[in-house]
Amino acid sequence: MRRLPKSYPFAFLIAALAILPLSVLFVLAGDSAEFFDTHNLRVLGNTLALVTLTIVGATLLGVPLAILTTYVHLPWRKLWLILLAAPLAMPSYIGAFTLYFALGPGGEIESLLGIPTPSIEGLWGSALVMSLYTYPFVMMTTRASLLSLDGSLINAARTLGMSLPASLLHVVLPRVLRSIAAGALLAALYALSDFGTPAILRLDTFTRVIFVEYNAFGLSQAAMLSIQLLVIVGLVLFVESTIKGNTERPGRPLCLWPARWQKVLMLGATLPIIILAIVLPLAIFVVWLIREGVGNFDISYAWNSAYASLLAALAAVILAVPVAHAAISGKAGRLMERVTYFGFGVPGIVMGTALVYVGLQLPVLYQTLGLLVIAYVLRFLPLAVGSVRTTAERLDPSLVKAARVLGASPREAFRRITLPLTYRGMVAGAALVFLEAMRELPATLMLGPTGFETLATYMWRVYEAGYFGMAAIPGLLLVLLSGLGLAIMLTGEGRSGYAMKEE
Amino acid sequence: MLTVTDLSVKYGNTPVVNNINLALGDDEILMLVGPTGCGKTTILQALAGLVPISSGSIELGHWQATADKNVPPEKRNVGMVFQDFALFPHLTVQQNVCFRLKNTAMADYWIELLRLDNFRDAKPDRLSGGQKQRVALARTLAHEPDFVLLDEPLSNLDAAFKDSLRWEIRQALKAAGVPAIWVTHDQDEALSVGDRVGVLNKGVIAQLDTPEKCFSEPTSRFVARFLGDASFMPGQRKQNIVSTRIGQAPGNTTDTRAEHVDLLLRPDDIALTVNGEHCNGSVDWVRFEGGTRLCAVTLDPIENESPIQLKIRVSHENAVQPNERVQLQIDTTHPLATFART
Amino acid sequence: MQRRAFLQSLAGVGLLAALPLSIHRSMAQTVQAMSVEQLPPLKGDLTLYLGRGEGGLYENVLNAITKRNPGLNLQIRRGASAALANTLVAEAQAGVKRADLFWAVDTGSIGMVTDAGLAKPLPKDLIGQLTPGFQYPQWVPVTGRVRTLPFNTQKLQANQIPDDIMALADSDLSIGWAPAYASFQSFVTAMRILEGEKATTNWLRGVSRHAKSYAGELGVVMGVERGEVDVGLANHYYTLRLKAGKPNADVDLAFTKNDAGCLVNASGIISLSDTDLTTNFMRYLLSHEVQSYLASEAYEIPLVDGVAAPSALPALADLSPPEIDLRKLADMRPTLKLMREVGVL
Repeated sequence: MRRLPKSYPFAFLIAALAILPLSVLFVLAGDSAEFFDTHNLRVLGNTLALVTLTIVGATLLGVPLAILTTYVHLPWRKLWLILLAAPLAMPSYIGAFTLYFALGPGGEIESLLGIPTPSIEGLWGSALVMSLYTYPFVMMTTRASLLSLDGSLINAARTLGMSLPASLLHVVLPRVLRSIAAGALLAALYALSDFGTPAILRLDTFTRVIFVEYNAFGLSQAAMLSIQLLVIVGLVLFVESTIKGNTERPGRPLCLWPARWQKVLMLGATLPIIILAIVLPLAIFVVWLIREGVGNFDISYAWNSAYASLLAALAAVILAVPVAHAAISGKAGRLMERVTYFGFGVPGIVMGTALVYVGLQLPVLYQTLGLLVIAYVLRFLPLAVGSVRTTAERLDPSLVKAARVLGASPREAFRRITLPLTYRGMVAGAALVFLEAMRELPATLMLGPTGFETLATYMWRVYEAGYFGMAAIPGLLLVLLSGLGLAIMLTGEGRSGYAMKEE
Repeated sequence: MLTVTDLSVKYGNTPVVNNINLALGDDEILMLVGPTGCGKTTILQALAGLVPISSGSIELGHWQATADKNVPPEKRNVGMVFQDFALFPHLTVQQNVCFRLKNTAMADYWIELLRLDNFRDAKPDRLSGGQKQRVALARTLAHEPDFVLLDEPLSNLDAAFKDSLRWEIRQALKAAGVPAIWVTHDQDEALSVGDRVGVLNKGVIAQLDTPEKCFSEPTSRFVARFLGDASFMPGQRKQNIVSTRIGQAPGNTTDTRAEHVDLLLRPDDIALTVNGEHCNGSVDWVRFEGGTRLCAVTLDPIENESPIQLKIRVSHENAVQPNERVQLQIDTTHPLATFART
Repeated sequence: MQRRAFLQSLAGVGLLAALPLSIHRSMAQTVQAMSVEQLPPLKGDLTLYLGRGEGGLYENVLNAITKRNPGLNLQIRRGASAALANTLVAEAQAGVKRADLFWAVDTGSIGMVTDAGLAKPLPKDLIGQLTPGFQYPQWVPVTGRVRTLPFNTQKLQANQIPDDIMALADSDLSIGWAPAYASFQSFVTAMRILEGEKATTNWLRGVSRHAKSYAGELGVVMGVERGEVDVGLANHYYTLRLKAGKPNADVDLAFTKNDAGCLVNASGIISLSDTDLTTNFMRYLLSHEVQSYLASEAYEIPLVDGVAAPSALPALADLSPPEIDLRKLADMRPTLKLMREVGVL
């Protein structure tokens, strides 16, 4: 009989821990009267439409941008990469909120510049905003895959007479499908669990209904709806897992040298994305800042945000290692990994409430930074797991064997071979968790120590009362600090190789 | 007829290939050889249209590519065989070979000619390296290219296959009747397969000629060293005869007419006698090569001359040992290359 | 300017505050709002669960109180009112107690916590300070807010707006509302209690035919000001705040009479610990200074005698709000069911 992989017990424990708060939902939903009514059908339709459109939008934006930043020889390549990944550093609710006030009749753009713009709202508006803020998930996972892909295949297809777009479509796309799906999964889960965007842009989705129920003291009904939402999450996870990938030997990445006008055209095409997702929200903030001043902002909020997020990032990566290892080792491990994804698909306020119940069983932890960090880890663990797993998958197993033959113990082989070679993936995963924890709001409000104010909670506080100007400084700081995390993540991504050197 | 005129390629501001001029006959195989980093793969990529060129032109029949007017790879009707095979992993052998073909007759022809019949439905990851490269070749030739580029096609293969596959590829190219440029860093390959050899050094063609000429009449010490073992023996030229400490030989005058010259000695140009009467050197090392042995001998030092090591090939029956005293004697009648002494 | 004056008056005077004052002596019938100078100093640890933040204005009040009372160690947990109410109930079930006070913006959350039996009874003199109609045994309304009809002044005159909320359903005005917003749901709950389920259903159905939905009532007011709709349904202060930032804004307030349309709701505070400290803290919130400050800066309606309402708003006495026990507004589930049946939620 085959021995169980060593990582299984750890992964099982972590998966069980991840599912624990979800089990609280079943207890809470226990005394709910209504299971499903016809009204929910419309909400279900909206939710599925938003998720589908988000997947489509994020993929349509993310994949070409991944190809652009990976394969095309651009001036200031790193800068473009950072700019195009920057929406990760911006909470989507900020985007939705600023875009809503910037665009449309009577919006900031019209009142400042006199240029009429169409307003964004409803399903299409929500899908646009969601796509703008989730495409970097697809872009990053696809990039990772493209970077390791042997570029000579495209050259082969082209020399056989296939045009470049056709080669990319027929030769590259089928081989990175798995990575695209991994990114699209994150985008879908984000769209499922995000409350702010559909609320601001007035779309009735599951999260919004859950929120309404919750605020009308229908906690059990909210829990019941969350369980229904979990079914959708499970469905999305299942669909993603059916997309097969193939493992192949990594080779030299492709490098394309377009003409100058083509470069200008390509970069020009990215501008609307950058302007909508980054420049416009920041500009709106600056306008408000000038108009309304700073308010009583305390710099310690930024420190609190960074500190808690950093702890969460570290803890998530440490826990991600056994889960990722288990996922590579076998079917059961893969299942354990999948289980950890549920936390990412549940709205923060429900997860927060569930964790209040869990935390109250351990009064020592309740309302401490510790519980908050646990909540972050449970919500954002899949981001770290995905990152670590991808790099670990690419690790040549013969390297570890070589170390063992040279006399290293498994522990030493892990420490000296596996760890340094997957280190970049861990850094990238940690950075991703950091970014998400920085912008997390509901769980932070409910689980942090009393009096613990972060950038996100402060922004929420002033936004709730309509003092937008006061949201400018924390908003800018949040983007700035997240930008740091992003920079770390992109260095963690490692070499972006040119095929310049000859063998 | 493929014509390359003043071709230069730069990566950023770094020149990689400088002023290359080539013209290729109808079914000619040109070997491009040179050390790592000499720009040979870049030339191939430029010819295929995979990297932009910074000046010059590439011309073949109906198209011409210049720095301003790029012709994309798919419009050049070029065939390319890659070092790492570049087979599409998700397609079978048959599908790979038929990649863009509407009529599969050519595919069947090459699959049979290259003995791939039994693997038609296999995926590439089940094939050996040699089989993969034959599939890659079949795929290239089945698409009937106007010219073929081979980028170190044998470097990822076992030595045992290399020799036979080398000839198989040559024969296939000749059968297809297309011009080909074959890049390698292996001097044996360069000399044995091609109709002509181009030796590249730092992005410049050092010599472009038949293999025989390049080997026996190298135009520079670099070419001499790169194509086979080369030793240099100082001597004096009188008329066409160069005299040295170990005998004399007719000197070639293509490179220099100077009086004080270095004579290029290949291992076969010298006779070695063990324990002869007039021993003039001692053996440093001996390498057994099967039918022959290669020896390195350092000549006894004389005043005003730096130590000279010569390489000599002897019959395997000659069981010469390291540290033995030997007598060396130039033993050739054909003219040897000479280089001015600096 | 007013903000600074307020802070000075709270923090600056130490003389009178040093005098111990018997609160019980002031148990007369109607009481003028007390000055903070008359109040005893606060000492000890106090944990406050604060439902929503009101943009730092409640924050300023709390800051001023802690500044005036150096012996007070005030810990604040902020959150959505409903989330904090859920947390309080969960804590009580688990036998964990962290909060001494719960200050919520909506009476629904107050109702949930008092229904769970967590509120401690309050001394009579404290209750007696409040405007009649706002005196409850278990909680203290801090400030009031009135339901209003903000309208676009470019499109409408005040007299074009019905003074009966029920008539709005049959008008041909385009209406902005925020059905998912808690204050709106409280308003519908009041209508349901006052007019009955059938009338409310018809009203919702009627309005929804010419209504546009917004996420929150600030959005409603901004929509009205932009001219997206003619008239909105919103708490009064959003309009006042918008006008404070943009004095020439194209929006003004209209009021209905004697119906849910001019319901006066309140933010309120509950004591969860039976100590003098919690009740004295509440007294600070009802002080003249705090009430005037919230009235002038947050445009909320003061609920003690002797403090003027925001100048842009009619006096509380001139409004004609319906009579209703605000705690009943916590009964929101039937309201949501109703709204959902009509399809507005």
